[in-house]
Amino acid sequence: MKKRSRRSSIFLYSMLILWAFICLFPFYWMITTSFKMPLAVNRGPVYIPFIGPIDDKTPPVVNGIYFKPTIDHWKFLLVDEQAKTVRYFRNSLIAAGVSCFFAVLIGSMAGYGLSRFRYYWARLGWRNDNIAFWIISQRFLPPAAVVIPFLLFFNTLRLIDTHTGLILAYTVFNLPFAVWIMRDFFDSLPIDLEESARVDGATRWQTFLRIVIPLSTPGLVTVALFSFIFAWNEYLFALMLTNFEAITMPVYLAGMKSTKGIEWWYMSALTLIMVTPVMLIGLFLQRYIVRGLAAGALKG
Amino acid sequence: MTTLSDIKPLPPDKSMRNETREDSIFKRLFLSPAVAILLLFSIFPLVWSLGVSLTTCQRTTSDQHTVVGDIFCLGNGAEFSLANFTRVPSDTRLLTAARNTLFYVVVGVTVQYFIGFGLALLLNQEIRGRAIFRLIFLLPMMVTPVAVGYAGRMMFDSGISPLAQFQRTLSTFLTNLTGQPISVAIPWLTDITTAPYTIVLLDSWQWIPFMTLLLLAGMQAIPEEIYEAARVDGASRWRILASITFPILLPISLTAILIRSLEMFKIVDVINVVTGGGPGTATESLVMYVFDTALSYGNYGYAAAIGIVLLVLVIIFATGFLAISRRITRNQLGGTS
Repeated sequence: MKKRSRRSSIFLYSMLILWAFICLFPFYWMITTSFKMPLAVNRGPVYIPFIGPIDDKTPPVVNGIYFKPTIDHWKFLLVDEQAKTVRYFRNSLIAAGVSCFFAVLIGSMAGYGLSRFRYYWARLGWRNDNIAFWIISQRFLPPAAVVIPFLLFFNTLRLIDTHTGLILAYTVFNLPFAVWIMRDFFDSLPIDLEESARVDGATRWQTFLRIVIPLSTPGLVTVALFSFIFAWNEYLFALMLTNFEAITMPVYLAGMKSTKGIEWWYMSALTLIMVTPVMLIGLFLQRYIVRGLAAGALKG
Repeated sequence: MTTLSDIKPLPPDKSMRNETREDSIFKRLFLSPAVAILLLFSIFPLVWSLGVSLTTCQRTTSDQHTVVGDIFCLGNGAEFSLANFTRVPSDTRLLTAARNTLFYVVVGVTVQYFIGFGLALLLNQEIRGRAIFRLIFLLPMMVTPVAVGYAGRMMFDSGISPLAQFQRTLSTFLTNLTGQPISVAIPWLTDITTAPYTIVLLDSWQWIPFMTLLLLAGMQAIPEEIYEAARVDGASRWRILASITFPILLPISLTAILIRSLEMFKIVDVINVVTGGGPGTATESLVMYVFDTALSYGNYGYAAAIGIVLLVLVIIFATGFLAISRRITRNQLGGTS
């Protein structure tokens, strides 16, 4: 590698730090806002959660760029409003978790099939690649184009405002990606182990469950991660298909507008509650995200 | 490296040479659930959507949460009608929404691509703490879009945001400096012309990492020898970027742009939270118009019709894009060989 000049090093690092700042500042702002008193928010920006010793008997809320932190808002959401917060959080968890499970299961089965068997749909003249392409093309179908039939359909089946409804919808949306990634992954797995297991008398299904699945953990984790994040963040269908009971976090958050205008301190705290789990999962499984993106685009 | 436009050759058959009866059962068993689900919940609703769009299907109550009508949407005396589609060309709100959506796709994805490319170049240098930087750069991508919307409102609020304060300070400073009243305050969210750009900025904050990570992965796959050879030949840094890095990354770039564009057509959550489509309908996207028509007005027939319009736009865009990118990659192959 050529040695960089001092000047370009300074440029390089200052750009990196600038962008890191742009990425991180909104998080800092949300965290601090969730500890600010309403007055401290409405008076204009204050940055640092600390208020120096001021001789006054009733210390002010803000002092220049400093403010006096409070945990009231967190207390409100986690203690006073606990039932609501927990319920919507749980709804999100159920919808995302269960749909993620089904997407992984059904997706890896189809992926395995497409990787190991030879299909031919005579009527359409489709072979494996055509089928796979058809499946992935479903991923780019805008959900808004099918949301009305879902609404009517679910209404008839009494699935509006239920976990089952959301789970079903999210499984459908995550399936194409799951099939695509898993097929790709199985293609890269050597077939020898499966063949020897088959020689020892294992059925296809046993081979799949006992040999193939344990070997494909990285692929499964990638698919699970993407499916979970998608379902956790999804808004349009959750908005359309739920009313009161099965509302998920994004819908709850987006609907939280009171007559007093937006109460930024509650919003911030609630937002943090919503994004933290996904961010933690994402941080720990970072390399799978990169792998999933690469598989989706490089091979796509 | 392949792209969407290529169709891969049939992979070697990895199954046993002679298909047994058991195999033929499992063969179906593995694929059927996925195919059945997609047929039932993706293809069928699509056809159904087309059907509903040709009716006057309408909710009769004002309550957002009751869907009156059965699966055929005939419960309220809906009848067959082409009215929804004849209404499309003269519906200015729809045309605005379509224009906005295309604006987000074109401007948003362009911005995201170039900034993402730049950041990937930075990260591809030999730097200290690359892992940390990459991790930080990745963060926005995992934030719920609704949360990005709220964060954006806090960032771009014209009263209480740090940005507004900075602009006020700068305005005062410039005014004092020049002796003339100068204001650099920008009405980020409340002006018809600037609000769409603010939406693009927010979406970009979230999705630049997607471009960065993909392009970085592509860059790291380029063998170092190519660069060495170019340097030995005395190529400048710009020359290397323009003649090596960029062309090699072209296929993956096109795929990334296509994926991001198709996702962008679905944009709704950020807009809904940040501007609610306003001021007026200046930032409204097609998807927003769909759900507003369905939820607020209960006009399911027209909502379905807008969905179909969106789908047609997406298909035209994807087909055109694939055709163009095929030509670009072919020309390039011709040029370099």
